Amino acid sequence: MSDELDRIRREMHSVLQPEGVRPDDSLKITRRTFIHGSLIFGAATVGQTFAWWPLLNTLDIAHAAEAPFKFAWISDTHLYPRSLNTRFVDKVVRAAQEVQAMDPPADFLIFGGDLAQLGKIEELELGVDLLKEVKIPKHYIPGEHDWYLDMGKKWGELFGRPNWTFDHKGVRFIGLDTVSRGPDYWTAKNMTPEERMGHMATLDGTVAGPWAGVGRDQLDWMEKTLADWDKTKPVIIFSHNPLYEYYPPWNFWVRDWREVHEVLKPYSKVTNIHGHVHQVLYNEIGTLRSIGMLATSWPWPYAPEGVPKLTKPMIRVDPGDPFDGVGWEKIDVAATDEIKTEYIMWGRKEVFVQSAEDYDKNVSEIIRPRMADNMWPY
Amino acid sequence: MTTRSKFRLPLRRFALLGGITIAAVFAGPSSAHKDPVTPAQLRAYQEVFMEQVRKGDLLFHGDQKMAEQLGVAEDLSKTGMACAMCHPMASDTHPQSFPKFQAQMAKFATLRDMINWCIEKPNQGVKIDPESEAMKALEAYITWSNTGSVLQPGKF
Repeated sequence: MSDELDRIRREMHSVLQPEGVRPDDSLKITRRTFIHGSLIFGAATVGQTFAWWPLLNTLDIAHAAEAPFKFAWISDTHLYPRSLNTRFVDKVVRAAQEVQAMDPPADFLIFGGDLAQLGKIEELELGVDLLKEVKIPKHYIPGEHDWYLDMGKKWGELFGRPNWTFDHKGVRFIGLDTVSRGPDYWTAKNMTPEERMGHMATLDGTVAGPWAGVGRDQLDWMEKTLADWDKTKPVIIFSHNPLYEYYPPWNFWVRDWREVHEVLKPYSKVTNIHGHVHQVLYNEIGTLRSIGMLATSWPWPYAPEGVPKLTKPMIRVDPGDPFDGVGWEKIDVAATDEIKTEYIMWGRKEVFVQSAEDYDKNVSEIIRPRMADNMWPY
Repeated sequence: MTTRSKFRLPLRRFALLGGITIAAVFAGPSSAHKDPVTPAQLRAYQEVFMEQVRKGDLLFHGDQKMAEQLGVAEDLSKTGMACAMCHPMASDTHPQSFPKFQAQMAKFATLRDMINWCIEKPNQGVKIDPESEAMKALEAYITWSNTGSVLQPGKF
């Protein structure tokens, strides 16, 4: 596995990162720490049991918007029916309350996929219900957990098209569907919809294969969508999966990253914000900047290889605290042409590792893919 | 007299041990474990191990049928969560670091202690018998998946 990953990684770097190419110099990143108002709200309501005073780290990215505005991101809520798992419900409630309490308010909320855990109508409808707390406009992209029970039928009824675009105050926003074009692994094996969903819902499963992709039709659509956009003006692309190769065995990538980059290459200020990884991630691929977001449900450990060198890892979480290592994000587009991405990680003074021992890869780890899912009698 | 009796005791012991040794030498060849290992035996031993790995893999990934078969379906999780949801490919389980002081339990703990802690806390389930087949299968899968990780007992 590692040899193949090494080969892909070398190819990606040679294709996407020729010498001297990197995101526009105006997109500078700084880190700072400050007290965040929405968590003071959290402390006053549901936070009594958590004796923290939240200090948050931020990424500041210069950009070029016409007017200042903010938007919020929530993703990877992985809701089960309320009767089965109340912790996940509590965390969506908290995120929704905090987004709604933003002052000044956010212009809109992006929901970055995996609203449901097993794609059930009940789970998707629960998500819609909980997010009604957020009164600002909401835009949804799908995650694989939302899709593979009924192949997106219910999701489409609730949220419409899975890919979309709009312009807002000088920024072109694009929402991509990176989940619906998985190769058919179910027909030949006569899987029930529940079995199909089960394999898709297992991050380290070996049956669903390289399901994450943008697809030629959607790439053409994106190319057309960007055709009339000034190449030096900002573009922000939302996707469930990262748009580069990080760790294919967990679909921490899109398999057609080469083609995605070909479409985006002419544009100098592109930022991709993605979910799926349930962790702090930062990368620069050619002229594309990429930021990974937290889940509200649970954090994933970093993959055993391929963590981008530019990522300052998030802190190793306490598995005994369901509010640790998870949260939501606030993205602030300032009048000074800055975009500030703020990780609102509940229960933490420090989002990023402070010492080697804070990093989950501090312990030696060489792991291998599972085997039992390929032995089932299909 | 005294000198002779002191001598006799070791002599008697020697005779007894000698007798056992001679008997073992004659009886011994019938014991298979004295023979060089055969490929068939190795295959059999490996099959026993991999069968437990397979069962552990299924339990770790929330397979209901296997949990029922091993009598732990009501115990492993009451939230819908399975071990693999936080530990894909058994990552971040660090079996090679046990036994160690485990901060969550505030005690010196084994991997089995930690598995039971995860069942009880994040999964809100019920602890399983540390000697049960289910526990051994989970342990087999976790250690198998971490084959290659360097032993670091006690490491945080």
